Amino acid sequence: MNTALSSVTSQEYKYGFVTDIESDSVAAGLSEDVIRFISAKKGEPEWLLEFRLKAYRHWLTMAEPAWANVHYTQPDFQKIVYYSAPKRKEAKYASLDEVDPELLRTFEKLGVPMNEQAALAGVAVDVVFDSVSVATTYKAKLAEVGIIFCSFSEAVREHPELVKQYLGSVVPTADNFYAALNSAVFTDGSFVFIPKGVACPMDLSTYFRINNKDSGQFERTLIVAEAGASVSYLEGCTAPQFNTNQLHAAVVELVALDDASIKYSTVQNWYAGDKDGVGGIYNFVTKRGLCKGRNSKISWTQVETGSAITWKYPSCILLGENSIGEFYSVALTNHKQQADTGTKMIHIGRNTKSTIISKGISAGGSSNSYRGLVRVLPKAEGARNFSQCDSMLIGQLSSANTYPYIEVQNRSAKVEHEATTSKIGEEQLFYFQQRGIPMEDAISMIINGFCKDVFRELPMEFAVEATKLLSLKLEGSVG
Amino acid sequence: MNAALTGVGDCILASDLLAEPRPDHFSALRLDAEQYLQHQDLPTPKDEDWKYDDLRALKATTFHPGTAAAVDIKERILPEARGTRLVFVNGHLDPHHSCTSALPQGVRLLNLAAASEAVPQLGSLMAPADSDFFAKLNTARFQDGVFIFIPKNLKVATPLHLLFMSQAADGATISQPRIIVVLERGAAVELIEEYAGTGTYLTNTVVEIFLAEDAELRHERVQRESPQAFHISNLRAQVQRGARYHSRTISFGAAFSRQTPQVSILGEGADVILDGLALLNGDQVADTHSVLDHTQPHCTSHQLHKAIVDDGGRAIFNGRIFVRRGAHGTDARQQSRNLLLSEKARVDTKPQLEIDTDDVKCAHGAAVGALDPEELFYLQSRGLNDQAARNLLTYGFAADLLAHIPVASLRRQLRQAVMARTNSTDLAAELGELA
Repeated sequence: MNTALSSVTSQEYKYGFVTDIESDSVAAGLSEDVIRFISAKKGEPEWLLEFRLKAYRHWLTMAEPAWANVHYTQPDFQKIVYYSAPKRKEAKYASLDEVDPELLRTFEKLGVPMNEQAALAGVAVDVVFDSVSVATTYKAKLAEVGIIFCSFSEAVREHPELVKQYLGSVVPTADNFYAALNSAVFTDGSFVFIPKGVACPMDLSTYFRINNKDSGQFERTLIVAEAGASVSYLEGCTAPQFNTNQLHAAVVELVALDDASIKYSTVQNWYAGDKDGVGGIYNFVTKRGLCKGRNSKISWTQVETGSAITWKYPSCILLGENSIGEFYSVALTNHKQQADTGTKMIHIGRNTKSTIISKGISAGGSSNSYRGLVRVLPKAEGARNFSQCDSMLIGQLSSANTYPYIEVQNRSAKVEHEATTSKIGEEQLFYFQQRGIPMEDAISMIINGFCKDVFRELPMEFAVEATKLLSLKLEGSVG
Repeated sequence: MNAALTGVGDCILASDLLAEPRPDHFSALRLDAEQYLQHQDLPTPKDEDWKYDDLRALKATTFHPGTAAAVDIKERILPEARGTRLVFVNGHLDPHHSCTSALPQGVRLLNLAAASEAVPQLGSLMAPADSDFFAKLNTARFQDGVFIFIPKNLKVATPLHLLFMSQAADGATISQPRIIVVLERGAAVELIEEYAGTGTYLTNTVVEIFLAEDAELRHERVQRESPQAFHISNLRAQVQRGARYHSRTISFGAAFSRQTPQVSILGEGADVILDGLALLNGDQVADTHSVLDHTQPHCTSHQLHKAIVDDGGRAIFNGRIFVRRGAHGTDARQQSRNLLLSEKARVDTKPQLEIDTDDVKCAHGAAVGALDPEELFYLQSRGLNDQAARNLLTYGFAADLLAHIPVASLRRQLRQAVMARTNSTDLAAELGELA
């Protein structure tokens, strides 16, 4: 890219502040004792401690995966703080008034609606700060229709039978290195249960924030939609700016029974490190949905703009007949960011369908890889997949890679994959400018056009945020 | 070379080969490869590059080095290449069937044993190869092979035909030919590389191609090994500025076959075509692992790989395209198209793009599916019965890759072979497709 398409300094990370709150942390390091401490601290039942220890023991035998196209120094797992909670007098806040005002201000800065204004936004929010859920709104209203939406710890206390039934049923403890680590040390997260036949009346939302400098965030999300139920769930993430790398290793499990549908949307904006690649979050996340019932549907939509390293493959196991899996993704990398992300669609049941739309944008000296698997097993009669993976390169130092794995074992399956690569050309920009549209707006419009297929899958307020976020992230990389 | 080789994994320890006298310039290379193999076992599905391959049958087979045998090559003769043909039987040159009387002046078409006397720099032409197990095995153990040299600006009109026959009568045999092709600046030639045979054997071949500026090589590769055979081929090509390398690999044979072509584009304006067609039935497995490496600006590459899989066959495609930093103006296209004809047929395909520069045109696509019911219906509505319609569509799927083979006799041969495979001989003949 020539000089006309360079310069202009980069936008600072807007969410990079640290909140000064006393936190209750365990010393850094990982051992069975730490796990017992976390479990005791949270007053967990014996079976959950066993679950954790089993995962930990297996984790000790596993090696960190090295196949992804990302390069980083392996985190020192003994230097991570595995439990860090905002200090509190009582185990649970009775109302928002009791929450540390400093904490509330943090969320105001982030634009998370937690007070009565939330009524206007019409979104129920669960907020996870470092490792612990601090506030959940609209619980009562949701409870009226039988929906459970609470922090994971609370679910363990209040609904142990549900948690026990579904925890680890989609992502087993030994699934992979980071899932095993999460299973051993997860501290909190969100739990959603939509009972039979209920369509959740509002979007549910969780906001994740890492605040403590040395802490890792290991949250666990479990969403169960019973027969005929439906829910749309949003997840947002930010972290303060530190010059060290922090680890985020989450596990998300979704279970959809007959005719149920779950829509899971993420806008991930963890701190990405500075323009030379110092600091930033290592985002190593396992997300998987099980379409267990007939006609069930799971849809993943993600906008990945943050994190120094992203290693994330939201997947669908299409077990139930006629079940549908969808994956819509925009992954943007800039400066020294590295992303290796994609999806897996495992077609097991008859007439299962999946759609993959992935848009990768790489700017600066970043590297952006799509890695996906479409597997059609012998019994998946009539399976259908369509994948489209487009890459846009901005600048001569960026990389875009596509690694689609397609494994078909059923003749009646129809699987199609397409990928293209393009760039924002000087000519395109010139055209916009001669029409009086400023450079930044022009870029934003081109990017929005490129990502349109994904953005339109996002809930309204997320779509607006995502659009803003992309133009913010790209400022300075072109023009 | 009398010792029985127990599996390929063990054959690397056959010390009699080390004692065999070899030309000096090969020695270092061979020793290096030999040493590598001492510490290496056969690849397993745990190696990402061998993820879909099962080499247990290969490992369980005992291979003996083959000896000269009488073969019938009547059906393999191409009239266009009557006087430009080298025939190898079980890895050894067969002077009786070979004929180089029609070679133009300056062209060298020699078996390696003879060439190593005539061309002292031969050893330095050979790349130390990469860490591919079978490429190393060939380097360490090849017995003979071919050296082709086309001098500056010579455009050779007659195609060169290399025919490798294997005949395994009692016990499995192994042959490991090495082929070195050098085209000087502006030279052009057409090369046909063909493998066939009977019985259980392993062909482990390595082809090295050097194309100087503006040289042009059209390379037709035909693999019709016996249904019990193993065929492993490594190809490395270096393509300089303005040169053209157009290749097409047609695989019918072998119980297990693997093609590993790797083409490095080293100069501006080069053009590469790397097409392939695999027709599989029974329990055949065909794997193609290709690499196209764009290191220079303004080069083009096109790859169309097709597989037709019937019965319990399995087709694997793994195509990597690299566009290195600075290779702006690259135009790279890759397509993997797969047709499944039976319940148990299986396809694993992975087209990959790795792009490190922004000003490029790159696209790839993959499709796996059965015959289109609408197309079947259309043909049926024109009076074809179900089976005939299926056969014709299957033939049509393959035929477009054969249409542009320049050597008429080879084109006809391959078309007939595809028709026979798709049971569409009569029908296609009726439709005048035989031309």
